[in-house]
Amino acid sequence: MTSPQRYSKGLENLCIEDGDVDPINIISGQESNMFDEAIGHIEDVLMDPKFQDLQKSFLEKYWNEFEDSEENKLVYMEIFKEYTDVVEKFIENHLILSMKDFCMESFTSQLQERKDELEGEVFEILFTFTDFLVFKEMFLDYKAVKEGRVEDLGLNIHVTSV
Amino acid sequence: MGLLTVLKKLKQKEKEMRILMLGLDNAGKTTILKRFNGEDIDTISPTLGFNIITLEHRGFKLNVWDVGGQKSLRSYWRNYFECTDGLIWVVDSADKRRLLDCKKELHQLLDEERLAGATLLVFANKQDLAGALSFEEIRDVLDLTSIKTHHWQIVGCSAVTGSHLLEGIDWLIDDISARIFSLD
Repeated sequence: MTSPQRYSKGLENLCIEDGDVDPINIISGQESNMFDEAIGHIEDVLMDPKFQDLQKSFLEKYWNEFEDSEENKLVYMEIFKEYTDVVEKFIENHLILSMKDFCMESFTSQLQERKDELEGEVFEILFTFTDFLVFKEMFLDYKAVKEGRVEDLGLNIHVTSV
Repeated sequence: MGLLTVLKKLKQKEKEMRILMLGLDNAGKTTILKRFNGEDIDTISPTLGFNIITLEHRGFKLNVWDVGGQKSLRSYWRNYFECTDGLIWVVDSADKRRLLDCKKELHQLLDEERLAGATLLVFANKQDLAGALSFEEIRDVLDLTSIKTHHWQIVGCSAVTGSHLLEGIDWLIDDISARIFSLD
């Protein structure tokens, strides 16, 4: 195990001197481990029943607004923004609680540097949170279940491991 | 910028573009959209929300967002700015009475930080109508030549006949892909 102190030093550089330091020069093995650790924690979040509860209560709050018509209501976009904020906050809070000195700013800048390596299920799922059409479909599916038009198949929004 | 916004930007593929189509109400935005999509254009009613279509053209995938233009809806436009590669501004070339309003709204958009990098295509629509101003006249009334912050082009077109629509889209694709590839 690397000592937490050394992590914290590397992160201090990234966060406080953000903009002054060329990020490429300070990428180190430690930060790479930190990156992988963060991805691991995000995987945990996506599997967390509390996260699924959060999604379910969100669907419960707004499913009535949605209609299966071609034209979208303006309110969908407001709900979508709220949804991405809530999901983002949940993930960030989890990372802050599970990792000493986690810094979202340095994490997102590492994501940008590794943009060609962002493959795998965890990224597939994260990408879907940013997709409005997937979001609308999720609500329409939930509405169909609520109105008894289809059988509840476990709501299909749950993330399962492969 | 939050985690998901960063991911959204990273996810955008080389051949995928996000296009935002705005303009005053009754300019013909939805008609243009439906015309592109090969849908019936006889039964279009004013858009109170927004429409999304995906166009495949020349190997590019364009996600086009068309948002209602009525005055009461314009304050919602800002919800659609994020990650926009191209802005299509649609003008009713026969609606002379509202051209100053049209100019004001356009120039306000161009000041928006989140639209800073976007390419601007102006469609001087309804060229099939007898009273329509030419695209050169629209260019002058909207004061397009004063725009230094965005790449722009104006094309006279008709959503009803379909004339010059593709010409505009081709220019938009060329300009955006030149920008994106030069960044890479």
